[in-house]
Amino acid sequence: MAIASSKPLTLPGVILRVFVLVGLIALATWGVHLIRDALDLQIRPDNEQQVHKAIMVGAVAYVGLLAMPFVPGAEIGIALLAAFGAAIAPLIYVCTVAAMMLAFTIGRFLPISSLERLFRVLRLVRAADLVAKVAPLSKEDRLAMLLEGQSKCAVSIAVRYRYLAMALAVNMPGNSIIGGGGGIMMIAGLSGIFTPLAAFLTVVIAVSPVPLAVLFLGLRF
Amino acid sequence: MTQLLQIAAIAAATFGTGAAALSVMNEDIPDLFIPEGDWADTSALDGKTFRIYGEVPSRSAVLEDEIIFRDGTFQSTDCENYCVFGWSDYQTKTVDGVIHFTTTAICPDAPHTVVWHGRITGDDVVIDTTWTTRRWYWTNQIKVHATGSVIPSAEVAG
Repeated sequence: MAIASSKPLTLPGVILRVFVLVGLIALATWGVHLIRDALDLQIRPDNEQQVHKAIMVGAVAYVGLLAMPFVPGAEIGIALLAAFGAAIAPLIYVCTVAAMMLAFTIGRFLPISSLERLFRVLRLVRAADLVAKVAPLSKEDRLAMLLEGQSKCAVSIAVRYRYLAMALAVNMPGNSIIGGGGGIMMIAGLSGIFTPLAAFLTVVIAVSPVPLAVLFLGLRF
Repeated sequence: MTQLLQIAAIAAATFGTGAAALSVMNEDIPDLFIPEGDWADTSALDGKTFRIYGEVPSRSAVLEDEIIFRDGTFQSTDCENYCVFGWSDYQTKTVDGVIHFTTTAICPDAPHTVVWHGRITGDDVVIDTTWTTRRWYWTNQIKVHATGSVIPSAEVAG
């Protein structure tokens, strides 16, 4: 029987990994530029109205899809950023906050049975199963769901610093396996241990790194 | 009722913060700068039409246009294809024998503002223009530099 051994990382190994990561980021940035150039999306007087309508439809779809658990919505935001560059970042930020708060509000105020039924009607089976799984749990256990696999101590700390846990969970890469940003905010709303105002302030800060970077560093694509 | 109030408060906070964030983060692009001077409604260019050819510095687009002066007002035939700007009042001033004109055309159906500044020497004209679109989520501007010359009224299209 072969046992996988995990060797401790050496300094050259760490440096190599950092270089590989930076290389991947540079490659991805270059790819986005290529896509943008290929799309040749120039805003001219003759197409401005169509571009405006497309952005509005995209923004509404982005808010709606991002608010739903297990439904990919972030890709629309990334596509808008790739197509229109940093100029569209403020709108994406506002839409992301709106989507997160929409999910939270639905979780907080819609009866849990109605929510499950709504998801089943919409054929969102995984989202309905998630809500059904959450329904019988206590408030703390609902929050603990966001930290599945973590120790009791970690869960206890997370309950104490629940807003920090929420911010981390929303930003965590791979959070789609627990429902994505929309699913996390819906569970947070369902848990009943987050006040709307504090949850709102947490979301405003948690989803702000990219627009703040644009604002303060003047980043341009 | 309390729940409805809470939902309304969340919605108000979201929209309010969104509006504030957009107004802070959206960088406005000013319209074309028009130098100070003794601008006046002289109607000095009435009856003249210029055919102009221009380029958009940041794009590959080429502009071909006719600008018409009539009854103290101005119209760009090309701009009319994209929005019915109608006729806009124009002002002139003369500096060292060069007639300067400026006008601002505002689209009534969409948030477009087009500002013109032209310098006319004899039958030739040099023009700078900005077409600025101010949507609630961003501002987009197209800058155009064009040159042209006067054409007889009989040649005016449309």
